[in-house]
Amino acid sequence: MELYSPEGLRLDGRRWNEIRNFECRINTHPNSSDGSSYIEQGNTKVICMVQGPMEPTLRSQANANKATIEVNLAVANFSTLERKKRSKSEKRMVEMKTTLERTFEQSVMCNLYPRTVIQIDLHVLSQDGGLLAGLTNAITLALIDAGVAMYDYVAAITAGLHDQSPLLDLNGLEELDMSTLTIGVIGKSEKLSLLMLEDKIPLDRLESVLAIAIAGSHKIRDLMDNEVRRHGNIRSSKLVNN
Amino acid sequence: MIGHRKRLSSGLSVTSKVFVRSRNGGAQKIVREHYLRNDIPCYSKSCNSCHDIVKPDSNGELPAFILSESPKKTKSGLSHYIVLDTNIILHAIDLLENAECFYDVIVPQTVLEEVKNRSFPIYQRLRGLVKSEDKRFIVFHNEYNEATYINRNKNETINDRNDRAIRKVASWYAAHLKANSSQNINIILICNDADNRQKARSEGIDARSLVEYFDDLPNGEDLKDLIPSNIHNSAEFHGENETTFPEYYSSARIMAGVKNGTLYQGMLNISTYNFLQGTVQVPAFKKPLLIIGSKNLNRAFNSDSVIVELLPKDKWREPSTSIVEESNIGANDNAEEDEEEDDTGAKGVVSDKERILLAQEALKATSAKEADQKRLQPTAKIVGIMRRSWRYYVGQIAPSSVSEENTGNASKSCFVILMDKVLPKIRIRTRKAKEYLGQRIVVVVDSWPSNSRYPNGHFVRALGEVESAEAETEALLLEHDVEYRPFAKNVLDCLPEEGDKWTVPDVENTEDPQLKKRVDLRHKLVCSIDPPNCVDIDDALHAKPLPNGNYEVGVHIADVTHFVKPNTALDQEGASRGTSVYLVDKRIDMLPMLLGTNLCSLKPYVDRFSFSVIWELDENANIVKVDYMKSIIRSREAFSYERAQLRIDDKSQTDELTESMRILLKLSKKLKQQRLDAGALNLASPEVKVHMDSETSDPNEVEIKQLLETNSLVEEFMLLANISVARKIYDSYPQTAMLRRHAPPPATNFEQLNDMLSVRKPGLSISLESSRALADSLDRCVDPNDKYFNTLLRIMSTRCMMAAEYFSSGSYGYPEFRHYGLAVDIYTHFTSPIRRYCDIVAHRQLAGAIGYENLDLSHRDKNKMETIVKNINRRHRNAQFAGRASIEYYVGQVMRNNEAEHEGYVIKCFNNGIVVLVPKFGIEGLIKLEMLGDANTAVFNEDKYELSFTDLKGRQRTVAVFDKVTVDVKSIKDEVSGKRKAQLLLH
Repeated sequence: MELYSPEGLRLDGRRWNEIRNFECRINTHPNSSDGSSYIEQGNTKVICMVQGPMEPTLRSQANANKATIEVNLAVANFSTLERKKRSKSEKRMVEMKTTLERTFEQSVMCNLYPRTVIQIDLHVLSQDGGLLAGLTNAITLALIDAGVAMYDYVAAITAGLHDQSPLLDLNGLEELDMSTLTIGVIGKSEKLSLLMLEDKIPLDRLESVLAIAIAGSHKIRDLMDNEVRRHGNIRSSKLVNN
Repeated sequence: MIGHRKRLSSGLSVTSKVFVRSRNGGAQKIVREHYLRNDIPCYSKSCNSCHDIVKPDSNGELPAFILSESPKKTKSGLSHYIVLDTNIILHAIDLLENAECFYDVIVPQTVLEEVKNRSFPIYQRLRGLVKSEDKRFIVFHNEYNEATYINRNKNETINDRNDRAIRKVASWYAAHLKANSSQNINIILICNDADNRQKARSEGIDARSLVEYFDDLPNGEDLKDLIPSNIHNSAEFHGENETTFPEYYSSARIMAGVKNGTLYQGMLNISTYNFLQGTVQVPAFKKPLLIIGSKNLNRAFNSDSVIVELLPKDKWREPSTSIVEESNIGANDNAEEDEEEDDTGAKGVVSDKERILLAQEALKATSAKEADQKRLQPTAKIVGIMRRSWRYYVGQIAPSSVSEENTGNASKSCFVILMDKVLPKIRIRTRKAKEYLGQRIVVVVDSWPSNSRYPNGHFVRALGEVESAEAETEALLLEHDVEYRPFAKNVLDCLPEEGDKWTVPDVENTEDPQLKKRVDLRHKLVCSIDPPNCVDIDDALHAKPLPNGNYEVGVHIADVTHFVKPNTALDQEGASRGTSVYLVDKRIDMLPMLLGTNLCSLKPYVDRFSFSVIWELDENANIVKVDYMKSIIRSREAFSYERAQLRIDDKSQTDELTESMRILLKLSKKLKQQRLDAGALNLASPEVKVHMDSETSDPNEVEIKQLLETNSLVEEFMLLANISVARKIYDSYPQTAMLRRHAPPPATNFEQLNDMLSVRKPGLSISLESSRALADSLDRCVDPNDKYFNTLLRIMSTRCMMAAEYFSSGSYGYPEFRHYGLAVDIYTHFTSPIRRYCDIVAHRQLAGAIGYENLDLSHRDKNKMETIVKNINRRHRNAQFAGRASIEYYVGQVMRNNEAEHEGYVIKCFNNGIVVLVPKFGIEGLIKLEMLGDANTAVFNEDKYELSFTDLKGRQRTVAVFDKVTVDVKSIKDEVSGKRKAQLLLH
């Protein structure tokens, strides 16, 4: 398989610095959650629902200083090529869950909600590379929908290195063959709230990979921002009409 | 399947490819995204719109426009670009590489992918054509282009859909160039599928077959001979009443069979002495499987990867002890009408002569005594071929297959007999058979249908007269797959701009951080010792006593990697050549001349970059300390081995340089002794050297290579450097260090030799417990009456050894790194980067290990190292064979003028002949029973390895293995293969 042809095209016809088709919706489940979102990054599809901030069921969960963030990750059996039952205690799942919790503990203004818990439920419907990035973006949108105070968007994307060329937003096939870097960028800044590297990338090449990943995250942030504003306009027009 | 296109804000459209794949009996539906774009250019220089749409790649470079503004014209004056169909590329890749035709070619992506799925080697050659740019090939990504992407229609086969996509490319190009170019450029679609051509024409595309296209070319007539045979209508090619070889099993059956252990996969190795017998080594059995007879061999070529099935036990046999050469069997077959002279019509692919041989064998097998039972070997038949080893073959047209009276222009079939005698002859069609008689020609095999006795092929080009030095050299290089063409322009572009005026830059006042890391060693008294007239000097040495009584010794190796940076065209060319090839009269360089003989070469009296290993050695040559550094040196003198020896021996010379050489010599002797004590082997090969007459450059003398003390001086320090470097890079890169190992020989390899020894020389044997034991037992094997016997035995043992090989450290465990022959635990090649690619990788890894520069990714990736290693192992082997073949050829030329009697030794005995080695020339030759004497009265005693016969003078004689015999050596030309070889006659 030729991941990156000498003519500069990737397996699915993109160039090195192009992101996949990115679709997002917020407030998809207004009745069953406080905030919800649905995103598609290529064929990676995720639903996210946020409950809270609310009183924790157990006293022991309450932290007097700040809100507790709890992520639940459910991966559908049909989300990969082969149907496979996955247990929640799988190592990769647990790792992803804690990574997400830590990321959002940084970006949510947790100190505003002491003694509460924010529960985030994620459902992965389909996987095609960049799962962690997709989950991060979905959570950002759902938290915004829930009205939880955050410092800024956390926009995430993957990037990898093929020979000398950095490639942006890897799909499932590319991810199998390359070491993958996932980053989450705060807003339009160059601050990272998430950085995860699977396998390894030589240090002298890391900078070019990081550079396109940050540029890609900014693109994702803009696309998410558009959706939030579109939804906001609809909400406010409803208010005016009433 | 249908995908809906959706336009994205970034200007792309996205659609999806949906397909169903079966896996483990179930079906899987796969959905992939597929992006369509409108920024793929047409790559034509004459186009005035595509320059505006191109986008840069990750290095910021824009794609180059390659297709010419004024492409070649056909006879009828049509200037044109060519669009190729898949079948043309698969069958006629040689033609595409031909410099006479096919310029400005568009390869649609659809075609490229089909080619890749069908044959990866052809895909790589095609990619090579695109990359080199001389023939102006481009890949047009039609599947990603919005304008040329097509959906598969309902009920349309995937092949029809792809054909339609290719036609779409042709029509898009035609319309695009019409609209955007002022030149009148036409598009010709070349395709060998009549149905597809028909459809294309109805869509207004100029579609032609290969023949039709050549008809319209000015030089088309000459090119027509080069058209591969399977593009012709194949029905006319062979008679219909030929009975057939067994068909190969279906791939499903093979897969299942291999999985459940009833079929085995392995590489076919055809016996050099008997082309109807091959062996396949499979992991499941200790002994190789025998494959006997052409029906069981079932169209396999030597070194094909084949699938075999065991034959029942009653068909198990011992290996044939007789010699069968293809030239004896079926030499008189007529290529045109294969079997028609045979009246019975019942004759199959097995010829009668072959049957007689088989019957004799069978008789022997059935009458074999109990004692022979243990020698029985399982036999098998070939039921499938995984991968063909087909390549270019060199041979010559069999004169008997060219009919006399036919002088018309129609193309006729004839046989080509290949130089490699383990391969069958190949049938080709040509109009110029007569013209090519007596010439070396290159052919390619196209197919071997089951109903044909011989494979079909086609002519590629003629090399020249048989026995002309150029033709023979070129033939030899082709036969051993050595790349000998001059370096391409893009490779030469990687050399320093200053050319031969390049000098070492000023190190003191420099900003270059790498240059600052170099150590200035110009004050050291460095000299080089090489064979006389050596131009590519890659190593130099220095030594000096230290105040504490120890010695400082430095080995300085040419710093090739300063010039050959990873991932450049130069690096890739070097990696693919793998090694320089040394022939008697010629050297095929791995790197361009400028580097090899000038900029990298550690010439005396000038400053050069080098990579130095500096040890502190104590009085007994034990390493106290070792340092590695990139450095600058200035060699004081370039000695030849003889001159260095003379200077060391000359007591009156007491200058510092000579003294340092004496230190080196002293230490090297100690190193050698340490090595021998550890069990290093001292094997022998009958190496000879051919002297050329300086005026006529004709070879005129053969000499056995002389070894001086200074040879071993250099060798010892090179070994020491290699070992030290191997430890260092393994330390830094435990998974991917480039190393070299030599496996201990399996005991079975020595079985026959030991058996011979016990029968012929009672009391002597070779021990295999360790390399030390082997070395000692070899030392003990002396025949007081014959001084040469020990050397002979060493030569024969060498042939039982395994070959040393390169590997990356991740592929074996540490205990298996061992180099058996040198008796060290770890070894690599570091000291000849000018002529070996392994050394270049080792240099880069060492530079990484000492923090001089970052190591390139490709040398840190296990899989990439694996491909490098595989290639250089193959290249190294081929280079050795080519070198030997070259010596063999020249020895043959020398003997032409010097017929004489010489001493020889019998090294093998068959029931119909013996093999004799003549140490004086380093040649071995077969003497057939007919040449020895009366064939009917001969008795072959297999247990005693002896053959008794009545010789031509009527005397009763017996010869056995290890016997010393006197032979007449003369050179004869084999009329059939055109090979000159030594003929030996027992005196």
